[in-house]
Amino acid sequence: MTIDFIINQFTEIIGNFPVAAFLVACASVGGLLFVLMALNAMVAVYVERKVSAFMMDRLGPMGQGPGLHAGKWGILQTFADAIKLLIKEDTIPKSADQILFKVAPFIIFIGAIIGLSALPFSSSIQAVDLNVGVFYIIAAGSIGVIGIVMAGWASNNKWSLYGAMRSAAQIISYEIPAGLSIIVPIMMSGTMNLQNLIEYQSGSIFGIFPNWIMFQNPFAFLAFFIFFISAVAETNRTPFDIPEAESELVAGWMTEYSGFRWAVFFLSEYANMFVVSGLAVAGFMGGWLSPIPGFLNSPVLGLFWFFGKVSFLIFVMMWFRWTFPRLRVDQLMYVCWKVFIPIAMLNIFGVGIWKLIFG
Amino acid sequence: MSKYFTNIYDTVNTLWTGMRITFRHMMNIKKDNVTLQYPEERWPRPERDIGFELEDYNVIRTRLHVDIDDCIGCFRCEKACPVDCIKIDTIKAGRGEDIPEVAHTGETSNGTKKGFVVSRFTIDMSECCYCNLCTYPCPEECIFMVGGPHSSKHPIDYEFSEVDRNDLIYQFAKKLTPKQRNDLQQPKEKAKA
Ligand code: SF4
Ligand code: SF4
Repeated sequence: MTIDFIINQFTEIIGNFPVAAFLVACASVGGLLFVLMALNAMVAVYVERKVSAFMMDRLGPMGQGPGLHAGKWGILQTFADAIKLLIKEDTIPKSADQILFKVAPFIIFIGAIIGLSALPFSSSIQAVDLNVGVFYIIAAGSIGVIGIVMAGWASNNKWSLYGAMRSAAQIISYEIPAGLSIIVPIMMSGTMNLQNLIEYQSGSIFGIFPNWIMFQNPFAFLAFFIFFISAVAETNRTPFDIPEAESELVAGWMTEYSGFRWAVFFLSEYANMFVVSGLAVAGFMGGWLSPIPGFLNSPVLGLFWFFGKVSFLIFVMMWFRWTFPRLRVDQLMYVCWKVFIPIAMLNIFGVGIWKLIFG
Repeated sequence: MSKYFTNIYDTVNTLWTGMRITFRHMMNIKKDNVTLQYPEERWPRPERDIGFELEDYNVIRTRLHVDIDDCIGCFRCEKACPVDCIKIDTIKAGRGEDIPEVAHTGETSNGTKKGFVVSRFTIDMSECCYCNLCTYPCPEECIFMVGGPHSSKHPIDYEFSEVDRNDLIYQFAKKLTPKQRNDLQQPKEKAKA
């Protein structure tokens, strides 16, 4: 189900109005992606609160939901949060740069949603099937940093500016190992199209193991971890959350934001998590392929496998967040430049040799 | 160079240890949970051991309670209260007469015959200063602080916060409908006339 498909249908059923067809297709797909984004944030926030609570031997939200305060797991907590955020006052500091301050959240939001539009949810469900999908998602991920720097600068607040600077330094640094390690699957499959990349991973190793890129050779296995950890760093999540380190910077570049604009930041953060996890799943973990080779593979079940794998990776991100302490700025740079980049480069080299020897 | 690799190894190893611990805690949440869902669950109250027999220890001050069936409506507690937070209204009734319609018993548990129906008995606990002065003059010992020496009559109660301040005005008298009130006042007027 791509945009092209909707445009074709429109042309067939209603007639040849290319502009209208394009607008309708974009609006409907964009709306669906937005719904996905909102649902993802709703569920992920709830799960995150529960996971964090359970890891700390607490119970987490319990009050909201069916059977108010009767110990029924607070299922409606995020709905309550969303309503609270939407009806909050939208404060804009007097000395802030009025235009940039208002625009910044939406630039971050755009960065997140256009990344989402290239993800292959299943063999037939994808907003746009790009032949440079991998490249596109990596590039879309970098748009966010513009919004972050904008927000930090426009707030006219030292915490915001510090946070934005740190975020820029961090995202730009970690894009290099992420990019270098996503080259590994591209080298192995010889394509940047996400659908082809996933199809390349069908089949099995020794008849039992799934033929996922991360299991095909040791270098790819390493590359997966480097990519995933760099992706965590790119989404500004703990242990790489120095841009919004609560104990140092109040809330980093989000300090001056409130209400709906702040909600947009939040939505984008969780959408970004989804996008990077989706890319990791498509590039290394066989996308919508079933983990048991040749078992239960179909376009609809593909949706299930894809979301299952992405949810697992998002859970691992939460697991990281509630286990590890925050890195210091110098440690952050050390990990990136002195550990990840050399290993990622060696990986590329190793995969090249492997391709030569084993085909 | 070897330091570099041992560093990486140590990092991965220790991080994995940490992740195992948090995962274990997450899985064992049923057993490890320390949160108490307060209004539904409470810690068990520890056994009281204050070095006295409860019977002898007569100055416990928790909150007031009135056994309205024993109250003869003598106003002594109201007069004793230094902050005037006890408000009592009475309606004259036949001495020692049971009035079943308003669940009024004619005699107290001490055998005293009542001459009044207590139509209003409120104590504003937000004004009460817990001086305990109202409990001494009561001839029937029906107004008392709960718990302590009176724990046989009423269990101790120290959680009486309320959302609305008006809920702190405790109503002890039996609720009377306007009609019942009228009926109770009627005979008196007849006797006068
Ligand atoms: S304890 Fe003191 S203040 Fe409270 S009702 Fe009795 S006499 Fe009044
Ligand atoms: S002193 Fe005792 S009997 Fe008299 S009105 Fe007060 S509570 Fe009732």
